[in-house]
Amino acid sequence: MKSSVLLADPAGRYISAGVIQISLTNAITIGAMIVLFALAILLPFPRHGGRGRRGGDS
Amino acid sequence: MTAATGADEAPTPPTSWTVRTRTRISRIVPQGQALPDRQPAYMSSWIYVFGVLTIAALLVVIATGVLLAIGGVAWWHVSPAGHFVNSLHLWSVELFFAFMVIHLWGKFWMAAWRGNRALTWMTGVLAFLGSIGTAFTGYLSQSNFDSQWISTQAKDGLNAVGVGAYFNVLNPGQMLVWHVTLLPLLIGLIVAIHLVLVRRHGIVPPLEAEAADANLADEGGAR
Repeated sequence: MKSSVLLADPAGRYISAGVIQISLTNAITIGAMIVLFALAILLPFPRHGGRGRRGGDS
Repeated sequence: MTAATGADEAPTPPTSWTVRTRTRISRIVPQGQALPDRQPAYMSSWIYVFGVLTIAALLVVIATGVLLAIGGVAWWHVSPAGHFVNSLHLWSVELFFAFMVIHLWGKFWMAAWRGNRALTWMTGVLAFLGSIGTAFTGYLSQSNFDSQWISTQAKDGLNAVGVGAYFNVLNPGQMLVWHVTLLPLLIGLIVAIHLVLVRRHGIVPPLEAEAADANLADEGGAR
């Protein structure tokens, strides 16, 4: 029956590795978050020019 | 009734509840730290931005949630404006969780519970767990086939741990009330306490910060 075939279709593409199974969408999202985390650590934070060192005494 | 402006008037006794309350409120955060205009130099890092990004996303979540509550189910299902606000609500939640998890990673790897900040860390944990529950009841409140599917998948697990009689995921009315009143109030309260604690103890320094610069008094001090 066509409707049952439709219901059996997966809702998306999945990556499987042993007991681990994750949707491609979730894997991409988690990967993007890890990249964003790494960039937040590595990229220099812009500083205001001409105002000297900010803070340091609080 | 006379105005209390005379110099020779007796001072209010310290046993007055208003004086005691005022004193207690003024001591919650150090003077000038409620809304500081200067921060330690080590805060000049993008990793320190994700806490406030989480708050910003939460404000959009709340604002769009209020609009959805005003418009109602039919509005968010059939009208273009309702679809738009519904999408804003969904995507601001996605960003809220993404920013919150990156904030969590950053704070975990700098051991943010140092320097009497354990309560700050634990309120963050509670905010995270409460947010998961709020998002879950939100998925159950969509009033579509997705919410039906999620509720039927969730009911067995919740029944197995014995809460099904009090927290019935097959009851959309109950889930909607949890989603729009109880859990947002809880999240709002926890986030407010979290923010006050951050201002009370100051932002956590990186691990390599100088001890004198790091405000890391582990003994004594306010908690």
